Amino acid sequence: MTTDLETIGMLRDSLERYAADNYAFNDRLGMLKDSSGYNEKVWNDLAEFGFLTLRLPEDMDGLDGDANSVGALMEVVGKYLMQEPFLISGILSTTLVARLGDAGQRERLLQGLGSGQMLFSCSLEHADDCLLEDNRLSGRLDLVIHGDAAHGFLVAVRTGAGEIKLGLVNASAPGVQRNPCRLLDGRGAARVVLDNAEVELLDTPADGLSIEQHIDLLVDEANAALCAEACGMIDALLNTTNDYLKVRTQFGRPLATNQALQHRMADLYLLRQEAFALTRAAERAISQPAAERSRIVSGARAYISQAARKVANEAVQMHGGLGITEELNVSHFYRRIMLLNNLLGGRDQHFSRFVESSLGAA
Amino acid sequence: MNNSVLDKAQQLREAVRHFYRNEMPAGLRDKSHRHQVLDKQDYLQWMQLLDQKGWAVGHWPKEHGGQEWSLLERFVFEDELARLGCPWVIPFGVKYVGPVIYTFGSDEQKRRFLPGIVKTEEFWAQGYSEPNAGSDLAGLRTRAIRDGDDYVVNGQKVWTTYAQWADWLFCLVRTSTEGKPQSGISFLLIDMRSKGVTVKPISTMDGYHHVNEVWLEDVRVPAAHLVGEEGAGWTYAKFLLKNERTAGAIVGQARHVLDRLTLYARETQVNGEPLINQPLMRNRIGEFELRFLALEVASYDAVMAMLEERDNGGEASLVKIRGTELYQEVTDALLDAMGEAAMVFDPAALHTADGLPPLGPQDTGGILKEHFYNRANTIFGGSSEVQRNIIAKVVLGL
Ligand SMILES: Cc1cc2nc3c(=O)[nH]c(=O)nc-3n(C[C@H](O)[C@H](O)[C@H](O)COP(=O)(O)OP(=O)(O)OC[C@H]3O[C@@H](n4cnc5c(N)ncnc54)[C@H](O)[C@@H]3O)c2cc1C
Repeated sequence: MTTDLETIGMLRDSLERYAADNYAFNDRLGMLKDSSGYNEKVWNDLAEFGFLTLRLPEDMDGLDGDANSVGALMEVVGKYLMQEPFLISGILSTTLVARLGDAGQRERLLQGLGSGQMLFSCSLEHADDCLLEDNRLSGRLDLVIHGDAAHGFLVAVRTGAGEIKLGLVNASAPGVQRNPCRLLDGRGAARVVLDNAEVELLDTPADGLSIEQHIDLLVDEANAALCAEACGMIDALLNTTNDYLKVRTQFGRPLATNQALQHRMADLYLLRQEAFALTRAAERAISQPAAERSRIVSGARAYISQAARKVANEAVQMHGGLGITEELNVSHFYRRIMLLNNLLGGRDQHFSRFVESSLGAA
Repeated sequence: MNNSVLDKAQQLREAVRHFYRNEMPAGLRDKSHRHQVLDKQDYLQWMQLLDQKGWAVGHWPKEHGGQEWSLLERFVFEDELARLGCPWVIPFGVKYVGPVIYTFGSDEQKRRFLPGIVKTEEFWAQGYSEPNAGSDLAGLRTRAIRDGDDYVVNGQKVWTTYAQWADWLFCLVRTSTEGKPQSGISFLLIDMRSKGVTVKPISTMDGYHHVNEVWLEDVRVPAAHLVGEEGAGWTYAKFLLKNERTAGAIVGQARHVLDRLTLYARETQVNGEPLINQPLMRNRIGEFELRFLALEVASYDAVMAMLEERDNGGEASLVKIRGTELYQEVTDALLDAMGEAAMVFDPAALHTADGLPPLGPQDTGGILKEHFYNRANTIFGGSSEVQRNIIAKVVLGL
């Protein structure tokens, strides 16, 4: 399943146009005051566009988009620092339900997820922090992004027999306690404590893969999407900084005339090119065998984490005092990049995974 | 080198440690250790504590209440406070304007201002930067025109730290537009309660209020508040800069956060093993230790060179560049190590003195705030770029 370039271009353009009109920096500053850290109206609009069914096959009323098409939208998400749970609920949760749910569950859940009426968050990385017994789940989900607003949590949990299962917990069920908090980019999250909470298993993996293999694949897809989001931010920061150096005058001439800064900008540009190339490679790798897929995806994330951090640091630095203010987008990109670098595995984790799959375990 | 200078510096270091362990009020110590936001009351308490020890103006001449510390003592004092994680020694009075006043000010100015600076009874702010005069400070435009016994001041200052608390602003203004930009600058002391002074907060990503815009509209400043001579402000500003230079705090801060990273890595278990045993983490901390060693010995050499007056003008730049860049990278690494815990930022929690730290183990709570704020370390006080320019021009003659 590959989405053709024309369709991808159309998807990107439609979100880009929408964001330019509705998600300008000042619009976003206003939305940051919304209690859930994202905007309901925008969320509904994203659903209207069909974006929340992007990754679903046509027979489930989806757009049948591939990883590349997700990336195209995620770049725009990064560029405009969109806060909505597009990736977490719209792509990741929806696809988990589609690939692991049985016909009844798909029927019941996908319509709500695709229309944005229902919002799910995921906890896929802490399979050992919860205990599953008789369809009851206990334990803690440490930080669930959008967990403050979610209607349900998709939780990966390891059984006594060492097998990974995927459970759906209704956020308002008895035994579910959530402590909301704000992430450093203003999005909402929650620390969730489960005490014998009722859980519904999604236990019907498609395509002959195990549940664990499906989850690994989807986490890699999400990681590729995060690479694309980072690319959107890197690109925006590079452009903003480039423009600023041309207009900011000190010592009687534009900052841009200082060769010391020109060379640094050239280095950032190289990072940008590499980041985009690695993101495309990670998206292509999604359809490769697991070992190669995870090698490329983790390699991309490790490299891009560092690249994005470098770009963010340099952008702040070259803006001088303005770089740390709320009023300028630079500091907001800076924060989102910090956050991104800890989502679904930090740099070290991905780097280690890359080294191991490149060299074989020591 | 004369041993007594070294001995005295070492004694001071030990006295500071002893003070921190035995005399520092627990509330202030904890707040500072957690990087919580300190309010004006906290800083007043802190500066007055230092004054009681005779340390607030230890580097001043005896006749104005100081102890005539050597440069090394000054350095060690700031270094040790920062290593321990003490509050910032607010420099605007004791470090910046005080020495300008006792060196260039009138007797009346000394009598009027120095006691309030020593005891931090009056708060000062630094009005140098303007929207169009950042790195290029000499490009400042705030205009002061003589009118009878007053100057009438019009213009805008920006990034003015703690202007919202300040009683006084020491301010660079343009009294002449003739000749070189540097030659038309004067040094004025402006009462912040004067009519026409407006302070507007600037919000920053660290989530608390420290920098401001200061608008000056037809502010009448008595000519008696001109320091030294009209048009000689640039000389005083450069003198002040020299006092800004022995920045032991930069070294101590890097040490402090490196200690925290190491402690965090020792005490945090990942898959049943201390984080510090992971090869990547070990290697990273090892690299930082090595860089810190280089910073520490080179800083020490730099101070000795200044003390023995064989400096070449690049010493302070070395400390500033290496120290601030190391500090920033170590906090990056600490935040990485904290993983998910470092994704939550709650500025409101940073204000509650006795609340729990907003995140994570080891009181690393406010490290995010600190990290955000300290992005500016490589921007203010002579940016890293400006420091490199100094080395290239002044030392290397390029
Ligand atoms: C948190 C904070 C607190 C501050 N507190 C005070 C205060 O209390 N009082 C006060 O007066 N000021 C204060 N400042 C202002 C500070 O001194 C200025 O931010 C600083 O001088 C840099 O100026 P700018 O921000 O206008 O950046 P710019 O001068 O516009 O510089 C932007 C970038 O370009 C670089 N650059 C500039 N010229 C060159 C060159 N020739 N070659 C290569 N690179 C170059 C700079 O290093 C920087 O990275 C504070 C700033 C901050 C961020």
